[in-house]
Amino acid sequence: MHPGSSMERKLRISGIMVILGLLVEALCLVWSKPIAFVALVCISGTLVGLGVLFFLYSLISAPSHPTGSSGAVAGK
Amino acid sequence: MPTLAIVILVLFSAALAGILVVRPTITVSRAGKILAFGVFFFLPLFSLVAGMENEMQRSESTAFCLSCHIMGPYGKSLHIDDPSYLAGAHFQNHRVPADEACYTCHTNYAMFGTVKAKFGGLRHLYIYYLGKPPLPENIKLYEPFNNRECLHCHLGARSFEEGATHNADPATLPAIKANTLSCVSSGCHDTVHNVGHWGDKVKFWNGGS
Repeated sequence: MHPGSSMERKLRISGIMVILGLLVEALCLVWSKPIAFVALVCISGTLVGLGVLFFLYSLISAPSHPTGSSGAVAGK
Repeated sequence: MPTLAIVILVLFSAALAGILVVRPTITVSRAGKILAFGVFFFLPLFSLVAGMENEMQRSESTAFCLSCHIMGPYGKSLHIDDPSYLAGAHFQNHRVPADEACYTCHTNYAMFGTVKAKFGGLRHLYIYYLGKPPLPENIKLYEPFNNRECLHCHLGARSFEEGATHNADPATLPAIKANTLSCVSSGCHDTVHNVGHWGDKVKFWNGGS
């Protein structure tokens, strides 16, 4: 697979998890019920945490000298 | 930070992440890489911590505790128009912050009191949603009420230190301070919430928050 497209795919997965986590957090913040606290910690915390970890993993797993023209984050 | 500001921050972070998900090629440039780090690392974590901190603060509010309907009668007891009702007298006269009335008395003021109170709250949630919650009048404290929680505010106060009843017997005050004579279960201040035992004569004060 093209290094750039692999990186883009990882960024997309990471981004989707972060977005879902943040949307759950926003819902929990406007929903003033005790269960919202648990949802924020368990669901939002897990999604955002996984998203951030996957982003960091995508950085360290990127080839140091990729060849190709469209390497996202990892460089050109 | 106000809840609305955190919600805006969270949505802003999600929107930025959305842009990078749709257009990941933005991250090819140096500025794009910095943006990606901010959007996928810094902003989500900051938003999460801010949100959790906000929820922790909210969990100390009277409204939060009373949002479970099982706590309804306890909330109602704060409005009983009778000064012998300890919880109501404290709430109505702002001897405790009215917006954190439950937490102020029911946390413990030892080193890990707040943590213990939060775990207690999680246990309440578990019982409420997954267990079999007791009737309001059957709810009991996990452990006898410690005088330490009363003395957190009353120790050193003139009304407490020089109170006639507290000084009628020289042994009383030291016993209260040593928690060997309970404030609330020794027959002195034993009318606290008394849910389920109000009878027909109890009246309610309509003021306050």
